[in-house]
Amino acid sequence: MRLGKNQRLASNVGPRRAFLADVGMGFTGLALSAMLARDGIVRAGDAIPGASDASRSQDPSTTNNPKAKSVIWLFMNGGVSHMESFDPKPMLTKFAGKTIAETPYADVQSPDKLKLARVTVVNDANGQQRNAILPLQVGSRRYGESGIEMSEWVPNIGSCADDLAVVRSMWTTDDNHGAQTQFHSGRHMFDGEYPTLGAWVHYGLGMQDENLPQFISIGNREYWNAKDGHYLGPEHDAVPLRIDPKQPLDFGSRPEGWSEEDQRIGFDLVHDWSQIRNVEYPNDAELLARIRSYELAFRMQKSIPEVMAFDSETAATQSLYGIDQPETKEFGMQMLAARRMVERGVRFIQVQHGAGGAGVWDAHGGLKENHEKNFRAVDKPIAGLLKDLKQRGLLDSTIVLFATEFGRTPGTQGSDGRDHHIYGFSVWLAGGGVRGGIVHGATDELGFHAVEDRHYVTDIHATLLKQLGLDSRRMEVPGRKRLEIDHGRSIDEILI
Amino acid sequence: MLESSRFRLVFEMHSIQIHGYLLLCFLCPGFLCLDSIRIGVGATCVADEPHPTSVRSVDYLEVIRPILHERCIACHGALKKEAGLRLDTAEKAFMGGDSGPAVIRQDVVASLLLQRVSSQDNEQRMPPEGEPLTEAQIDALRNWIQEGALYPSDEPSEPDPSEHWAFDPPVASRPPGSDARYANDHPIDAWLAWSRQRRGLEHQLPASKALWLRRVSIDLVGLPPSRNEIEEFEADDRIDAKERVVDRLLQSPQHGERWGRHWMDIWRYSDWWGLGEEVRNSQKHMWHWRDWIVESLNQDKGYDQMVREMLAADELYPDDLDRLRGTGFLARQYFKFNRTSWLDETVEHTAKAMLGLTFNCAKCHDHKYDPISHDDYYRFRAIFEPYQLRMDLLPGETDLSRDGLPRPFDCNLEVATYVHRRGDDRNPDTARVMLPAVPAFLGGSPFVIEPIDLPLQAYVPGVRAHVRDAWIQAAQARLKAAETVLTSLTDSDPKFVLAQLDVNRARAELDSIPVRYQADLLKHTQPDDPDTATAIAQAAAQDCRVELAEAEWHHASAVTAVDGATESNIEELKKKLAEAEQRLAKAREQVDAPGNRYRSLQGAAKTAESNVESEESRNKPYPSVSTGRRSALVHWMTDRSNPLLARVAVNHVWARHFGQPLVATAFDFGRKGTPSEHRELLDTLAVEFMDSGWSFKQLHRRMVLSKAYGMSSSTRGISEHTRASDPENRFYWRMQTGRMESQVVRDSLLKLSGELDGRIGGPTVASLDERSRRRSLYFFQSHNEHQKFLSMFDDANVLDCYRRARSIVPQQALALENSPLIQQSVDRIVAALVEGRSDLSDSDFARNAFESILGTPVKPEELRVGLEAMTRWRTAADERGAPADQHARTGLVRSLLNHNDFITIR
Repeated sequence: MRLGKNQRLASNVGPRRAFLADVGMGFTGLALSAMLARDGIVRAGDAIPGASDASRSQDPSTTNNPKAKSVIWLFMNGGVSHMESFDPKPMLTKFAGKTIAETPYADVQSPDKLKLARVTVVNDANGQQRNAILPLQVGSRRYGESGIEMSEWVPNIGSCADDLAVVRSMWTTDDNHGAQTQFHSGRHMFDGEYPTLGAWVHYGLGMQDENLPQFISIGNREYWNAKDGHYLGPEHDAVPLRIDPKQPLDFGSRPEGWSEEDQRIGFDLVHDWSQIRNVEYPNDAELLARIRSYELAFRMQKSIPEVMAFDSETAATQSLYGIDQPETKEFGMQMLAARRMVERGVRFIQVQHGAGGAGVWDAHGGLKENHEKNFRAVDKPIAGLLKDLKQRGLLDSTIVLFATEFGRTPGTQGSDGRDHHIYGFSVWLAGGGVRGGIVHGATDELGFHAVEDRHYVTDIHATLLKQLGLDSRRMEVPGRKRLEIDHGRSIDEILI
Repeated sequence: MLESSRFRLVFEMHSIQIHGYLLLCFLCPGFLCLDSIRIGVGATCVADEPHPTSVRSVDYLEVIRPILHERCIACHGALKKEAGLRLDTAEKAFMGGDSGPAVIRQDVVASLLLQRVSSQDNEQRMPPEGEPLTEAQIDALRNWIQEGALYPSDEPSEPDPSEHWAFDPPVASRPPGSDARYANDHPIDAWLAWSRQRRGLEHQLPASKALWLRRVSIDLVGLPPSRNEIEEFEADDRIDAKERVVDRLLQSPQHGERWGRHWMDIWRYSDWWGLGEEVRNSQKHMWHWRDWIVESLNQDKGYDQMVREMLAADELYPDDLDRLRGTGFLARQYFKFNRTSWLDETVEHTAKAMLGLTFNCAKCHDHKYDPISHDDYYRFRAIFEPYQLRMDLLPGETDLSRDGLPRPFDCNLEVATYVHRRGDDRNPDTARVMLPAVPAFLGGSPFVIEPIDLPLQAYVPGVRAHVRDAWIQAAQARLKAAETVLTSLTDSDPKFVLAQLDVNRARAELDSIPVRYQADLLKHTQPDDPDTATAIAQAAAQDCRVELAEAEWHHASAVTAVDGATESNIEELKKKLAEAEQRLAKAREQVDAPGNRYRSLQGAAKTAESNVESEESRNKPYPSVSTGRRSALVHWMTDRSNPLLARVAVNHVWARHFGQPLVATAFDFGRKGTPSEHRELLDTLAVEFMDSGWSFKQLHRRMVLSKAYGMSSSTRGISEHTRASDPENRFYWRMQTGRMESQVVRDSLLKLSGELDGRIGGPTVASLDERSRRRSLYFFQSHNEHQKFLSMFDDANVLDCYRRARSIVPQQALALENSPLIQQSVDRIVAALVEGRSDLSDSDFARNAFESILGTPVKPEELRVGLEAMTRWRTAADERGAPADQHARTGLVRSLLNHNDFITIR
């Protein structure tokens, strides 16, 4: 039962390299998705040349049974307070005004436990220990049959409680907003730039639909680098789209006076010319890839504006997302667009909420007003998305993740704010084979440290990959070894 | 919430492990080079068989050797041989080390190897870093030993690091045993022919003249040839026609722009970025460095000299502003928030870009492949440890936000460098000071550090004559503006008095500059001379007059304000008046007793060492001595006996002419780098390069005039044997197909449309400026700011770009089809092709368009489909009542710009 030589190289890089070798090219960076697997999903596990089914099924690291097809990755920039959202802590109210040292939980600040932080900005005004406890800025209650305790700022998300798996034991290491990148890539900014999870999914799964890009980002992320692919190559960058049917994509609309027919004539001509050159330059994989990229480009010009055109959506649907209300309109449209993308087979939709500066959730002061306002903008649209996916039967195959870069300090910053907090914070997942109505992991009584079932951010990556039928260990790129921590471990307790 | 105790146990263990591991490797980014690969090596051997007794045969070469080589031999191999043990061959494992044999056949209990990898004691368990071996790996080792630990007898040892080819100086050579046959050949062709012959590979015929011209024009100046140039070259049948073209291109100033961009990639050129207005990375006005690169290449300054200037111009040419621009390389490494990150990047990218060494791997521990120790890393860092940055005034400008020269200087001469344990800057080993040094295994000339006395102008930049002149100019402009205001007023105007006082203070300031300059100069050149004391006293007196004039103006201004006050602000204005009165009184007193304090002329501004730098540190004088560490470095690097500098540069140039480097890992010539099949060729070129005075232009000539460069890039007509045995064209049996870099795409469009703005150098063009027709290298580019069109075509990554990516994505098609740039180019190209000839036939138009845009004549079949399409566009236009000729021509040109062979270099 030994693996042969080829099998040892197994990863989805294998067939790509073999393919290129077949056509006599040694270049890198081809759009894999444009060249391979046009008729379905290429899963890394399937891509092992010559591997028998038997050997695969015995390999515990390969999944043959994807539970999810798409991911909607909702990221709240700036840092959402876990205590005022998905991990309410009554002790904060009880000990309000006292210093942490005066509570029975003084040891949470013992230097040993604070070592996790890898400081980015030395002596920054932010990212400090905050000692005096700020009481909860909002009440909480139990939602759904499962009775998960959440803040009163999320009544609509709360109404979906029985579909959520809330993970209350996240931690990270960057005590500044570089943690945004860290949540996406698994690496602290001092380590350099690494592919984000969406890029890995794109790399691993390739094409599902040929009219749309498979990795889309919505919303701005001004604070950090707008790239995703990094060493996987620019073809694995997210394609940024705007919620604007007239101009959803850079260079996505034909110039004036140049009709669709004109363009078709031109693309056909380019195609004919390419065929002629193909005789002189046979087996030119780059030429073939470029022909295909033109076909996709041609279709994208139509299909992308179509995704953003909501005319066909009923008033009830639009209202479900809060599109009829000014404060929820913008995010509601993003959520509706995300659902429409899922329907069209897009693999990974990365939605950034709260661009500008370090992110709108960054409530160093006035946390109550800040979070109340921000939750009002996202609560209904997110719940609308979950309900709509569910009623259309799409939630089973779509994972929705709600995440943020870190939580906020139990102690107060100024009189009414909270600082960055990396030692414990919350995210939640729904759909795509995730169990609903459960809470996994816990922070201590003050919400300071994740103490039970602790998870680094890449455990979320591993969970999503697992549900998509991917194994990050099979997606190694030659010359780019990954650390154990990069792979993370899937949170199996929250999976069906 | 359902958690069985088993789950809990497993997950607690897991979190501890991950936690500990994370701390280790996050502090230690270089560590990612070490982690074991886990792609099922041995993982399935016994995965379904928990009992070690039911053994399956374990293949040494397939399973065991990869484990030993991945996880053990970095310390127990040719490089280090720790505890006297080597595990690079099974035989050596049997021989064992200081503690005896590591493997004893069929004795799983006594075999130390197995004991140590499976130990539960963290102190005992091997490997000491990273994750332990997996269960499956340990089982595989156990089974192998139990089965008798079989291995092939001819297993090769790991080669000795000192024998690594790239660590010895290059030697020029000719292919062996064939002196007569290759004696007159070009060295490139001789070596490639020899390599191909040994493998029975044939090679391609020469490309057409037109294709060669397009190829060489794009390679040397980054722009396609004009139709005139094509015609001239086609008609030139002189034997040296190609040489003439190459010389013409190399003499063109556009050559420096083209190759400047390549070196900007490698040297990580970046304009500044940060948050808002705060500079956090790189520096403002980096474009001076870019201009220095372009000019140096155009002058054919030797590469050795370029390296000297980039790393040490402040020591070697301390008052030469032109050469100091080269030190932009060091200014670019600036990072405000973490000095260690800043120096890590300096070390990493100096070593990678210039020496082809992955020094960064030794940040946290000894290098696992090359003989670079953890200490060596910090010794190398120590070379850079004293340097900080400042912004020097340039002639004609005193406002450093508008212009200035970012440059390094040795600032903290005494600061010690310590090893950071496990690469953690919070955990320095302060018991041992690391002295600056380069690793001994590279040999070369002695690394000798001699402190350098700097000229006065370097450490007191205020005494530079151009600085004085710039301040005078600025003060004159200020005075003139004040006088203009004054002359526009009558003496009865309420503003008249203030305007007069404004003139007074501007004049006092202007008058003060030469006096202050003189005092500065004398203070430093003849401190004990009585004239100096006089000059200082004069400067102080003049400064008091300036202050008095200022105070008078402020006072008058405050009086005026109170006169016009309202009830709501009168109190505040009265307070200000009181302050102004005080200031005036004090100024009057000081004029009578001026003392000896005055404002020195500012010739430079120090860049903040960090976000928490103290005022004292910020204001301390620039040292009059530089440590000489970086001079010692460049002396060692540029000596002919250095094995790496020339090789690495030649490899970079080769990669950009031939489409792939000779050493694929262009930044790593160490033992982990990709071995090259063309060492002799690379070495021969490296020696020639040094012999030529490190002349890039001669190197370019060598390469582009070779037969290999002139071959067709097609695979057509080449035997199946050649194609199958060398599908990646490693032996250059044909030319590699190239693709225009993003800058070349845009620049070529501009050239074809006759719009290229030929101005060379100067400040950056805003990245959002869509109207600029400057060459693309002039756009502002940083980690945060990208020019949109360029970023579609794999623009340089400013953090690391030893090779450009070459992607094919639909957005490129959209950019070439829909962007405003394309739209404008198409219209202009059509206009240029028509040139008022209204009777131009479609086929003449198409022929000319083809040749202009693709650089090659159209084939009949291509023309036929082109004309068909033109007819279809014409019909479409007619139906809409649009001008049909224009529409059809536009369509054809637009399609040609989207032709694969526009962006492709055949």
